[in-house]
Parts: sequence; C-alpha cells; structure tokens
Amino acid sequence: MPRILASALLVLFLLPWGQAAFAQGRLTGTGGVSSISGAGGGGLIPWATLSSLATQDQFGAVAFVTRTDVDDFQLDVAGAAVTLRNRLELSLAKREFTIKANDSRIRQNVAGLKLKVAGDLVYGGIPQIAIGAEHHHLHDPATAQAVGAARNDGTDYYASVARAWIDGPLHRTGMININLRYSRANQYGILGHGGDDQDRTLQLEAAAAVFLSRRLAIGAEYRQKPDNLLALKEDSASDIFLAWFPNKHFSVTGAWVRLGDIAGASDQNGFYLSFQGAF
Amino acid sequence: MSSPLLQTLRKASALTIALALCACTGAGAQTNLYRALGGEPGISRITELFILEIANDARVIHYFEVSNVQRFREKFSEHLCVISDGPCEYTGDTMVDTHVGMHVTEGDFNAIVEDLIAAMNKAGVTLAAQNRLLERLAALRGEIIYL
Repeated sequence: MPRILASALLVLFLLPWGQAAFAQGRLTGTGGVSSISGAGGGGLIPWATLSSLATQDQFGAVAFVTRTDVDDFQLDVAGAAVTLRNRLELSLAKREFTIKANDSRIRQNVAGLKLKVAGDLVYGGIPQIAIGAEHHHLHDPATAQAVGAARNDGTDYYASVARAWIDGPLHRTGMININLRYSRANQYGILGHGGDDQDRTLQLEAAAAVFLSRRLAIGAEYRQKPDNLLALKEDSASDIFLAWFPNKHFSVTGAWVRLGDIAGASDQNGFYLSFQGAF
Repeated sequence: MSSPLLQTLRKASALTIALALCACTGAGAQTNLYRALGGEPGISRITELFILEIANDARVIHYFEVSNVQRFREKFSEHLCVISDGPCEYTGDTMVDTHVGMHVTEGDFNAIVEDLIAAMNKAGVTLAAQNRLLERLAALRGEIIYL
C-alpha cells in the first residue's frame, strides 16, 4: 500500500491538475454508483469507471450511504470519493457490520485508490482499463482473531476492464465490467485477512448492465471470494440491481443480494439500498 | 450482453429478415435508420429542435456564436441523412476541418450529445433509433475534440 500511495502521489505531481474545476461533463450513468468499498463501481465490486462524472478536464466528488441487510447480518457503509481528471480516484468508506444474533458490531475503514490506465468506457477503440487497491483496517478485530484470521488489516489489489455499447442489445445501451482481484481477505476484510491459507489468490469479479431508459439501469454482479479459513466456509457473492439516475447529481440503487455462507450462517440473502450524491 | 458474437448473430438475423422482406415485396423494406428517424421531415424536425437546444445551452453556445445558422441547419441535416443511410449527399466540410481550432473538450462534446438527445426526445424519436444514431456519431468523436 505505501508503494501504491507513492505512485499515486507521483501521478498527482506529473499531471497538470491546476486549471480543472469541479464539474460533471460525462454522460449520465457513466460514473456508475458507489461500491461497498467506497470505490466507484457497482455495489459489491468496484468497476473500471471512476466516481462522479468528471472528465479529463474536471474534478469530481461523490458521497454515499449504503445498507445491506441479509438474514443474520447487516452492513452499513458511508463514504466518499474524489476523482481527479477522470484519471485518479481516492475513496474512503466506514463500515459497520452488525451480527443480529447478539447485536455486536465490527467497525472497519476502507481506503481505496484507483488509477485509470487507458481507454474509455464509451468512446474510442480501447475499453476503460483501471488498476486499484483497497486497504482494510479493522477497528474491532476480536471476531477476526476468534475465527483464526492471520491479520487484522490487509490490502486487496485489482485490475479492471469496462466497456459500454451505446447501441447494445435490443438497441439499448449496455456495459460489461470484469475485474481480477488479488486478495486474501476474509469476508471483505471484516473477518481480517488470511488464516489457515496465507497466500493471496486471484479472484474473478464481473458485472453486466443494460439501460432500459436513459435514467434506469438493470444489471447483475458476481464476486468470487477467497476461502482462507478452514473452520468457516466462504462463498462467492452475487446481486441483481436496479439503478436510477434522475439527474447528474443523485442516484438510488436497489439490489437483491446473495452472499452465501457468512461466518457459519448459511445462505445469507437480502436487500441492498444505496444513495449517492455527486458534484 | 453485447458480445461480438451476439452482435454478429443479431446483425445476421436482421439481414436475414431484411432479405426475406425484400424477396416478398420486391422493395427495400429494411428499416434503415433514416426511416427510423422519420425520413426527411423527421431529420428537419430533429435539426430545428437541436438548434434550439444549443441556443439555450450556456455550456456550448459560444462555439456557435460566429456560425451561420442557415448553413449549419443545411449541413447538419445532410450529415444526419447520410450517416443514417438516407438518400443525400454531404456537401459540408470534413469533421476535422469544421472543428479544428475550436478546442472542443470532452465535456463540451458530451453537452452536445445531451442537446441532441433532448432534441430527439422532443421529436419523438424512439430510444432504439436514438442509440443507433448516437453510436454512429460517437465514432466521429476523435475528429472533433481537442483539435
């Protein structure tokens, strides 16, 4: 993570940020929404798209709140992201994970960094390609320790590719995003990092969406996850979502999520609701 | 989703249907984009509404202050006609010649796209026809921005 931060600072100095202003010059919807890590994306996974609608000449910022409620757990996330010239995204999220059975809470912070490497989501011959890192810090590590996590904190790295087609399926605008994540996180880092299995592994994440109108998108996501703890099975996660963009400054996303087994509780399904403001 | 394979299959099936219709009627029954936009009257209406949208758009109106509106109306209509496979000839300048020195930014380009979408909405153009046209126009972006 320190190396990534150093690279980001280098980029900050190399690019002429100076004359850019906060504005929303990209097309509605092309900034996606805020993921549960705070990075711009879908909901369960980050996408190659950067938060807000800032173009290469602009700065952008978003703030969001998200609640995910499944059978035995609840996850509340609040956060914000800043996008510099549609090149670099810095994000912060505070998570509070509630275990309903005993009303205990696990608090966690996530700091994210995403750099657009090449291409564009909509225009030109090259899809949008980005690399990113997400650093997890646990405030309440007791549960992670109890289940056998090797570390309280850790960093995931990912590479991401996204492409939209204006004239996609049934002449509707559609998009696909694919991520490769290098991670040893247990349940998004809420149960720490590593365990009986110590090594980071590559995980596949994918999303697809179609705009039913200019303001309403429907889609699905899939997130493969590491399974480091012998005592607790960890499953892949998926969701089906509906995102509404009434204007360039506000979005509402609702989803049905299937998170699989979490900490011994099986088949955790439920809803996801997220609000995002952007400028 | 819109994989290359699916796109190919879709185009292939559209072509098959078009060929079948042509065989039956003996005429060009294929719904080309020009027809989907409403032909000549449809394109005239889109162009008029587009000019009104631009006139009210503070983000981009400065690009048009020195423009001859009558010429813009004529050449833009021709361009829409040709790009939608209509029976016209484009007599205007190339996209590069038209935009060089204007320093059109990415954001300004998108503002124009939004104005065109607003015009097409007001003209009653279907979302499908809008997207077919926008995809063709989007391919010209490299000949328009940051020149």
